[in-house]
Amino acid sequence: MSLQLSRLLTDLGEKSSYDAASQCCRCGYCEAACPTYVVTGDETCSARGRNQLVRSLIEHKLYEPASAHDALHTCLLCGACTAACYARVATADIVLEGRRMLDAKTHWLAHLLSRLMAEHRGWLAFMLKAVNVAKRLGLTTLARPILRVIGLPGLALAEEHVQEAPLTFLYEVLRRRPWAAQPHWLYFAPCGPNFLYPRVGKATVAVLEALRGGGNFLDNDCCGLLAYNYGDVDDARVLARRNIARFEAAGGTGPLVGDCSSCVAFLKSYPQLFLSEPDWKMRAERFAAVVRDVPEVLSDASLPEADLPTTTYHDSCRACHGQGLKEGAHTAIRRLAGASYRELPESDMCCGGAGAYAFRNPGISDDLIKRKVGRIAATGARLVATSGTSCLIQLAQGLKKYYPECEVLHLSELAARAVASGRAVQGAKDGTQAGA
Amino acid sequence: MTKQDIALLRGSLPFGALLTGEAQLVVYSYDGASARGRPEAVALPGSADEVRRTVALCCQRRIPYVARGAGTNLSGGSVPLRGGVVISLARLNRILAVDTATLMAVVEPGVVNLKLQEELERTGHYYAPDPSSFRVSTIGGNIAENAGGPRCLKYGVTTDHVLALEAVMPDGTLERFSGEDAGPELMSLMVGSEGTLGVVIKAWLRILPQPAAVRTVLAGFPSVEAAVRCVSAVIAAGVVPRALEALDRVTVETVEAYRRAGYPATEAVLLIEMDGTLESVARETAAVERLVSEHGASEVRLAQRAEDRERLWEGRRGAYAACARLAPNVLVEDGVVPRDRLPEAVRRIREISARHGIKPALLFHAGDGNIHPNISYDERDLEETGRVKAAGQDILRACVELGGSLSGEHGIGTEKREAMRWLHSIRVLRLFRDLKGAFDPVGLANPDKMFPDEGGGAEDGLVRPERPLSAQARLLVEKVKAYAGQRRPMVVVGSGSRWKGVPPDCAELLTTGMNAILDWDKGNFTITVEAGVLARSLRTELASQGFYLRWPDLGGTLGGILASKAWSGLRQDVLGLRLILPDGAVADLGGKVVKNVAGYDLPRLVLGSWGTLGVIADVTFRLHSSARDIPACGEPKPFAAGIWQKRVKQVFDPGNLMNPWFHPTGLSPSSPKGSRPPFPERA
Repeated sequence: MSLQLSRLLTDLGEKSSYDAASQCCRCGYCEAACPTYVVTGDETCSARGRNQLVRSLIEHKLYEPASAHDALHTCLLCGACTAACYARVATADIVLEGRRMLDAKTHWLAHLLSRLMAEHRGWLAFMLKAVNVAKRLGLTTLARPILRVIGLPGLALAEEHVQEAPLTFLYEVLRRRPWAAQPHWLYFAPCGPNFLYPRVGKATVAVLEALRGGGNFLDNDCCGLLAYNYGDVDDARVLARRNIARFEAAGGTGPLVGDCSSCVAFLKSYPQLFLSEPDWKMRAERFAAVVRDVPEVLSDASLPEADLPTTTYHDSCRACHGQGLKEGAHTAIRRLAGASYRELPESDMCCGGAGAYAFRNPGISDDLIKRKVGRIAATGARLVATSGTSCLIQLAQGLKKYYPECEVLHLSELAARAVASGRAVQGAKDGTQAGA
Repeated sequence: MTKQDIALLRGSLPFGALLTGEAQLVVYSYDGASARGRPEAVALPGSADEVRRTVALCCQRRIPYVARGAGTNLSGGSVPLRGGVVISLARLNRILAVDTATLMAVVEPGVVNLKLQEELERTGHYYAPDPSSFRVSTIGGNIAENAGGPRCLKYGVTTDHVLALEAVMPDGTLERFSGEDAGPELMSLMVGSEGTLGVVIKAWLRILPQPAAVRTVLAGFPSVEAAVRCVSAVIAAGVVPRALEALDRVTVETVEAYRRAGYPATEAVLLIEMDGTLESVARETAAVERLVSEHGASEVRLAQRAEDRERLWEGRRGAYAACARLAPNVLVEDGVVPRDRLPEAVRRIREISARHGIKPALLFHAGDGNIHPNISYDERDLEETGRVKAAGQDILRACVELGGSLSGEHGIGTEKREAMRWLHSIRVLRLFRDLKGAFDPVGLANPDKMFPDEGGGAEDGLVRPERPLSAQARLLVEKVKAYAGQRRPMVVVGSGSRWKGVPPDCAELLTTGMNAILDWDKGNFTITVEAGVLARSLRTELASQGFYLRWPDLGGTLGGILASKAWSGLRQDVLGLRLILPDGAVADLGGKVVKNVAGYDLPRLVLGSWGTLGVIADVTFRLHSSARDIPACGEPKPFAAGIWQKRVKQVFDPGNLMNPWFHPTGLSPSSPKGSRPPFPERA
């Protein structure tokens, strides 16, 4: 039985889920911001509709509660509606509450994954590596029809979309390297960089060292977002407690930098998990206060310009809507790309990645990525940067399919290039001076 | 609806375009207001033809339906009260053409207002109507509600920017209407009809080039009265700002608590925005600055660059947001009063609020007398909701008592149906109902909206100030009654400048006796004149005092000019008129306010009707503070009535008694050729 939060931390203070959902006055001003409404024109796929349905569920006003399933499960949880809403109604959290109410049982796969993440990371890593070896050998393609037959088409789609298959995971690399005794920052390795994109994590660490001196690796657990979104809230709490405790043991001072915007936004929302545990809530607040996302770190850093092809930027939803980092990200990318930068129209509209969304709702997801790639192609970009793992996966597969001339990289990777070339320039300069 | 109905609908639409799940129906059971009504199916057509097929099927199977845009309606107009089908037009969202040479855009109804604005911006143009919901509301919805917005003070409301429409009529046929059509102006009837007369599937809109310069002035005033006096003075000085907005103290305090906009803590704040050429804007801004100081403004700020102007607007734009954060729900009322009655309206709103224990934040489109009290409440608290709604109704009643109207831009929908009895006589309400019946005999197109059901409650609840007819007009009424009793055909005759002579057997109704100026409201820039007044002499008299009609120099009586629609631009300035109906009853249509969407737009329908719908007794115009030289136009042509015009005639004049030769074959399509008098000789 999945537990509910029952109480939410909203922009208007702490409220019961019911009050939070009732704060929606149905004005409809969120509709133009809601990506699923924009592509379907169907009110069932709108933020307003979802809030009203959750409210109806709470009020027991639906004879067939199950009919709300699609409405709630087509939500991207992108939060664009909340940013557009005057009262900042927290639709994503409300939708999740609705899903938990509706789905008496967590899907076994989500449950299994979040248990593995929480309790048996060694096993998970082992299995993932086995899968990755198979993937490199091209064997996993064969699994696609089997997965579809056994009722896991999402996994088949995931196998198709995810192009990365690292054999060494980020935490293994980071554990082996030397760290500063007096760290100026801590690195939090989200699951995306950890298991799929080690190159992103390495880039982030390199940039942090160049900008802020020595730091340390928190050697953290999963942030808990997977459990929060698809599994049990209690599993998310277990992971949150563990990460908070580890952070406190590591000195309890920040900044604590992560490089997947969804994960970082969730770390910042830890206090909401502990509304009925004042002690943990306080610890979570201290923790959340020092968490930083990459766009935040880079926005006020003095970065050299990198030598980049025509570059544009896609705002990860949980950075721009979840944390209000749109301006920061754009400041950073403008500095990094200089004259090669092109503004992306609708840069803050979801690409349709959204965690497991792309695998569970392939139709809407594909409509969204097509729209996104169309906008990217219109800028003539050869490189698009972003800050979330889902976006990296989704954009990579979308670009491959519809606009293969362009590649996608994490913002950290661009910054790492800039830092490296800046160092080279600096080195050259020093050399000249020494020679003179 | 039967299973068969559902199956037929499903069959006529593409896969997945008919929704019937409970949750899917729930999310189409409301709009921005508080009314609820669950549909039995939701259609999401993707083309005009699918809309037509759906309507035709509904007509055939007798299924009620409601067309819906973005569902931001604030009066419950898009709620399917009788179940049936919601026809969502959200997927008809293509901009079909933008023609900057003829200043016209052609759009489908589901195009979001903002998307059109963005498209037009690329070529330096814009579409004037800018309702506050413009980021989400659709052009179709804007047309159905005749939406306004801050900019409409200078540029007019939606109806002034619609050039032509294509609609699916309730019988499932397609029809096109244009502002240039001869005969009773059906396009105006369609605009603002809240989906009760048909479903618009295509619109030709007027677009405008962006002005070279824009400047904004913000000023704080010690009292609402002082601010309103200043507004009148600004307009009297010949300045027509593109927006003239006011906020009261409660609103400013609410906004400041939410987001510091830095507005002065005065009783009223005015925002005045001028646009035009660099010189005209500089001149007008100087005049406005002088005027606000003269009227006691304590704090005056000026902005020219876009970002500085945006900062001045921040508080105004944030006002609704601030109210929406105080409590879950906000009731936004939409009363209109003649501009100079605003201070009294504010006083009465405060009394009403105190009586009901509520604290509204007042926002005004001050330039056109439109007040939006914003009242925050929680709809789950039934007692509070009751008080808020009662207060809202009392506020509307007060607006009507002050000579205003129930709605300036939000429409009547379900929420103000009963209140229509305060504004309209039994006879006018019957006209509305009969018109609806003439277009939609079974009553399937958005039923139970806009006007109260017949019979229910005290039918005659008029509270609008009475305006006695002149002795001459009363005489004419008696004549019409007498002839109608004898079933004698009548001919309306003015100064004889457009036709002369009276066909044999016809009784003459001479209007030139009605030649008085009934009300010249210099502060509000409106005038009410009897129809027999000669246009040229009125023009001279007005000009002698610095007032102007913005028409070509047209001869003849005002009644003749209007009845023949001698110039199509007339529709912009006609605010109201009184019509002596062919049975002798008098219908008071429209009013003295510049924005009015309470009921069908009958004043504009009468334009071009050539006396076939009734005799115009008097008319209320908007006046201007400067002249505009408009070239004379050709002689208007009489019309040959189409099917919908015939149905309108049937409503107004079922016996075909007035100017009967326009319907030589009678009114029923099947009736044999009647022996009607021939057309009179042209002058």
